[in-house]
Amino acid sequence: MSFHLGEGSVRIEFDEGLYPKDAIYGAAYVFIDRCWVHLDRAGDRRIQVTLKSKKPGADTQVYAGEFQNELLGQAWRLRIVDENKKLVESITARALGGAAGPPGLDELLAMDIGEETAFEDPLGIAMSWEEKYKKKGKGEGAKAEAEGASGDASGGEKAS
Amino acid sequence: MTGLSTLFTELGSTAKAPTGLVPFRFREVSGDILLTNFLGDWLFVTQDEFRALARGELDSASPLHDKLASRNFLREGFDQAKAAERIAYKKRFLNWGPNLHIAVVTLRCNETCVYCHASRANMDAVHTDMTPEIGEKVVDLMLQSTSPSVTLEFQGGEPLANFPVMKHVIEYALARNRAYGKGLEFTMVSNLAMMDAEKLAFLVDRKVQICTSIDGPEHLHTKQRILAGGNAHREAVKWIERINKAYIDIGLDPTLYHVEALLTTTREALKYPKEIVDTYVGLGCRAIFLRPVDPFGFAGKTAQIVEYDRAAYNDFYRTAVEHILDLNRRGEQVLERYGSIFLTKILGDDDPNFLDIRSPSGSGIGALAYNYDGKIFSSDEGRMMYETGDPAFQIGDVFTSSYRSLMKHETVRALVMASIREAQPDCVNCTYTPYCGVQPEHSYRTQGTIFGRMRESTLCAVHKGIQDFLFDKLRENDPKTVEILRRWTTVRARTHFIHASSAS
Repeated sequence: MSFHLGEGSVRIEFDEGLYPKDAIYGAAYVFIDRCWVHLDRAGDRRIQVTLKSKKPGADTQVYAGEFQNELLGQAWRLRIVDENKKLVESITARALGGAAGPPGLDELLAMDIGEETAFEDPLGIAMSWEEKYKKKGKGEGAKAEAEGASGDASGGEKAS
Repeated sequence: MTGLSTLFTELGSTAKAPTGLVPFRFREVSGDILLTNFLGDWLFVTQDEFRALARGELDSASPLHDKLASRNFLREGFDQAKAAERIAYKKRFLNWGPNLHIAVVTLRCNETCVYCHASRANMDAVHTDMTPEIGEKVVDLMLQSTSPSVTLEFQGGEPLANFPVMKHVIEYALARNRAYGKGLEFTMVSNLAMMDAEKLAFLVDRKVQICTSIDGPEHLHTKQRILAGGNAHREAVKWIERINKAYIDIGLDPTLYHVEALLTTTREALKYPKEIVDTYVGLGCRAIFLRPVDPFGFAGKTAQIVEYDRAAYNDFYRTAVEHILDLNRRGEQVLERYGSIFLTKILGDDDPNFLDIRSPSGSGIGALAYNYDGKIFSSDEGRMMYETGDPAFQIGDVFTSSYRSLMKHETVRALVMASIREAQPDCVNCTYTPYCGVQPEHSYRTQGTIFGRMRESTLCAVHKGIQDFLFDKLRENDPKTVEILRRWTTVRARTHFIHASSAS
C-alpha cells in the first residue's frame, strides 16, 4: 500500500490480492459524503483510489488513514460474513420468514396475472412427462435422465 | 497486567495443539479466565488451568476435564441433538414477528427535558396529533403481525395530550381483536403531568399499563425536566401513588402491579447512584433500569451537557447495583433491569426477548414504530432519527404498506443481517456474544454504519461493562449474592393486563 498527498486530495494504491475489490468499493462508499472518489487501475493487480475533499482545507492525510482503517474493517467483515454465510442466511431466513408469515389473499390479489403472464410456466408444471423428459442428444439426454432420477428419488410424484 | 497478555508467550515450543474441545471464546475477569461456548454455557478456570488447556495438556482424569465436560466444552459426549434443541428454544423469538407496536399519538409535550429523545413539539403544534383514522390503520397493521401476542405502546410527545385519539385507538383495537384473538396489551409512557381522575379511570378500566420517567431525587429530576408552571417530579410522584392505590383498590397485588418508572442516566445523574436507587425503592418500584443516555433526538444536540465517558457510567452502574444488592440482602425485593436481561440468558438458558439486546435485534422483526403522520419505522429510534432529518429507517406508511411489505423491506433485511453478532468483527470473537445484542440504529447514529465498530461503540462499552460486573459476581460465587441474581431472572407475568380475546 502506498499513498501520495496532493493539494486537497490524496491518492492511495492497494494490492488487489490483499484487499478484495468489494471491500475497496465499500470503503470508498463511506467517503462519498466528504470527498469526490475516483477508482482506477494503477498497474497489474493494483487499484488506485483518489479522494478529493469537497471542503477546502481538509486534512487529506487523515482521510488516507481513515480510508485504510475502513478498508481493513470492510475486508475483515467480508471474510467473517463469508465464513459464516450459512449461519447468516439461515438466521435471516428464519427471522424474516417468521415475521412475515405466509402470503395472504392481499398478496395473491396483488400478483400480476394478465393475459401475457397467466400462462407462463417457468417450472414446467403444465408439461407432460414425455415432453419434459424426452430423449435429447447424447449429452442432454444423460442430463435429462439424471434429473428424472432425482425427481423419482424425491417422491416420484412427477411420474404419476 | 499479567494474565492473557503474557500467557501465550509463555507457552513455549513444547506445547501441543489443544484437541477435543468445542469452539469457545475466553476473557479475563478479575484474574480468572471466563470461557463461553456458542450454547451460552460458561465456566471460570484459573490461569494455570487455562495455560494447561492452551498447551494441549488436558488430563482426562483431572477435575478440569470433568468441569469442561459438564458444561459442554468437550467434543467427546457432546449431545448435538440437545444442543440444536437449546439453540432453537433460545432463538424462538424468530418465529414470532413484531410484538411491540409503538404509536406516537402526538409530538406535543408539556415538559421540556434536557435529553428529550422524542423531538417534542410545543403544546400548540396540534398538527402533530395522530388522527383517529391513522390510529385505526396502525391497529389494522398491528393485528396482522405473526406474533400471537401484541403490545400497543402509546408514546409521544406526551400521549395524554392527545387522549381522545388514544381512547379511540384502544376501543378500536379491543373491538378488532375479537376477530384475531391475539393476546393484546396496552402500555402508555407518560410524564403523568396531564393525568386526571377521568383519564385514570379509563386507563385502569381498559388495563393500560402505565410507565413514567423518574430521573432520581427531586432536585435532579426537576433540573432536567422542566414543567411550565409546575414541578415535574411532584406531579409524577403524586400520580404514581394514586395509580398504585387504584390497583390495590381493584384487588391487584401491589408487588406485581404498580407504575413502572424509567431512568435516563445523564452526566449529572452519575453523581447520585445510591440516591437514585433509594428514590425508586421509595416509590414502590421493584425494577430500576439504569439506561445510559441515548444519542437520539435533542440528546444528540445537548450531548455536551448530558453525555459522558462510558467508563464513568460503568462506575456508576457498579455502585448503584452494589447498593441494590445490599438492599436485597436486607430483604428489599428490587432488581436492575439490564442485569436481569443478561442474567436470564447467562443463568436461565433462556432469552427474555429484549429487542435491543438480542441477536438479531428486534428492529422491524420485533417492533414497529408508527409516527403521528402514519409513517412507519423499524424502531422508535429510527423514528426519532426521521424527526431530526434522517429518513433511513422509514420502511413504509399506514396508507400504502402491507404488513408483509414491511417485514420484507430491504432495510429490515439489512438490519437483521447487521445485527447477527456471530458475523460481525469484534463480536465474532467476543466472550459475551451468546448473551449480547446491538441496536443497529444506534451504530448508524453514532458511527454512520448499521454494522458498527463495536470497540468504539458506547453501547458495546456499556454491555461489556455490565457483563464484566455480573460475571465477576458469579466468579466470586457468594451463595447469597448468586441467589439474589438468580431471583432476578424469575418472571412473574402480569396476566391482568392481557386482553385475552378469543377469535369469533
